[in-house]
Amino acid sequence: MIPIKYILFLVSGVSSFIIFYMGLVNYITAIDGVTGIILLIFATAVSAGTLLSTTYISKSITKPIEKLAENMTEFSKTNKIINKKPINTNIKEIYELNTNFESMGKKVEETISMQNEYVEKLKHIDKKKVEFSSMVSHELKTPLVPILGYVQMLQKQELMGPLNNQQLDAINEIYSSALKLQKLVGDILTTQKLDLGKLVFNNENIQISEFLDLIIKDFTPITHLKKIQLVKEYDANDMLFSDRDRINQVFSNLIKNSIDFVVPETGQIIIGAKLDNQSMQFFVKDNGVGISMDNQKEIFKKFYQIDTSTSRKRDGSGLGLAICKGIIEGLGGKIWVESKENIGTTFYFTIPIHSMSK
Amino acid sequence: MKFRTNIEKNDKDSKELNVLIIDDNEQITKMLTTFLELNNHKCIVANDGKQGLALIQENHYDVILLDLAMPEFDGYAVIESLESKGMLKNNKIIVFTASTITQEGLDELVNRGVSSYILKPIDIDLLLSKIIQSATS
Repeated sequence: MIPIKYILFLVSGVSSFIIFYMGLVNYITAIDGVTGIILLIFATAVSAGTLLSTTYISKSITKPIEKLAENMTEFSKTNKIINKKPINTNIKEIYELNTNFESMGKKVEETISMQNEYVEKLKHIDKKKVEFSSMVSHELKTPLVPILGYVQMLQKQELMGPLNNQQLDAINEIYSSALKLQKLVGDILTTQKLDLGKLVFNNENIQISEFLDLIIKDFTPITHLKKIQLVKEYDANDMLFSDRDRINQVFSNLIKNSIDFVVPETGQIIIGAKLDNQSMQFFVKDNGVGISMDNQKEIFKKFYQIDTSTSRKRDGSGLGLAICKGIIEGLGGKIWVESKENIGTTFYFTIPIHSMSK
Repeated sequence: MKFRTNIEKNDKDSKELNVLIIDDNEQITKMLTTFLELNNHKCIVANDGKQGLALIQENHYDVILLDLAMPEFDGYAVIESLESKGMLKNNKIIVFTASTITQEGLDELVNRGVSSYILKPIDIDLLLSKIIQSATS
């Protein structure tokens, strides 16, 4: 890049030199000494005039343009128009250029400061929202303590006396509803921690085969009750270093979903794993109603519930899959779904063999 | 867990334990008292940390149930006071909390000398087995 004043001085310098040189040649070759001197004086005056006018032009045009350019550079760095150098000019175009630049700069400055204000406000609201829901879930958990405590005491009939069958049924219903509420509050808290990046992972060595067996065992009561098959498809001997409880939570959420979507008696759910490069790829596969393509895109979003009015009614928070996704991504893995309507659904997720502690 | 509790209960049924419950929520303390008394243990209740601390300094309890989240003088303050007086390890303290304490936070308390912890909502069988475990350890 060449500054404009150099170009001006180069052009005027060369032209004044040529004029002066021609004057000098005329002086030497002139027939008459007086004519020669006049020509020389004239040429000298013209070239001096050229240089002087160049200096003037340089001052009145290039100086303000230089300053304007500096102001613009400064503005692009700081987004602030206040620190600008003052520009005095009599040239109309430069004056307009400067005035327009200043008013544009002021507008940009105002917009940016307004935006910053909004961002601050939003941050504040978001913080309040998190504080509020954390408070709410804490407050919801507290009354659950005596509810669950008394219900458990009543259920153990040796403590508070025998119950008739109707009373026992009622107590069992209260117990399972209270547990659902507890799970819901827990889900909300987990989601919050995921949102805040505050979920802590405790990694340990996991023996995959044994881990899958335990998951199946946890579900035996309900799969027996609903006459659903839950089986393992894995016969290797891999180890994984990751968060056992959190992966268990993922499996548990996925299996519960599958149980809701398969048909009792013929329902089949297969869980398994396969070593794939540096990751363990797990899956939960069912022969349930399947998930439409439209729903497949949405199911990992928070509070999303597939409208199952045509098939069966479900209860749940709509947080299960969002939590699965959050946990898996937190552990450095991925989750995705493959499904065909009326044929079945398979959820896949990967977990790095050696999850990083966060 | 239920199975283990029953075995332990049969072994320890004869011994009546003296339990101090420190919690600001009266419904929770009432439930815990009811449960422990039904299991033939004796309960004393303190509704805040200061009162609880005073009782610990004056009497001996087989087990102390301490809520972490209380207004003003909370469970952490009680633990710190006992620690500074060198009394933390002499007392069998089980902390219980519904707040969002991390596993590391709980482990740290155990390392400092708290004997065990239980998360709210409380599984009463688990609580009883922890009380008996702490009292006899």
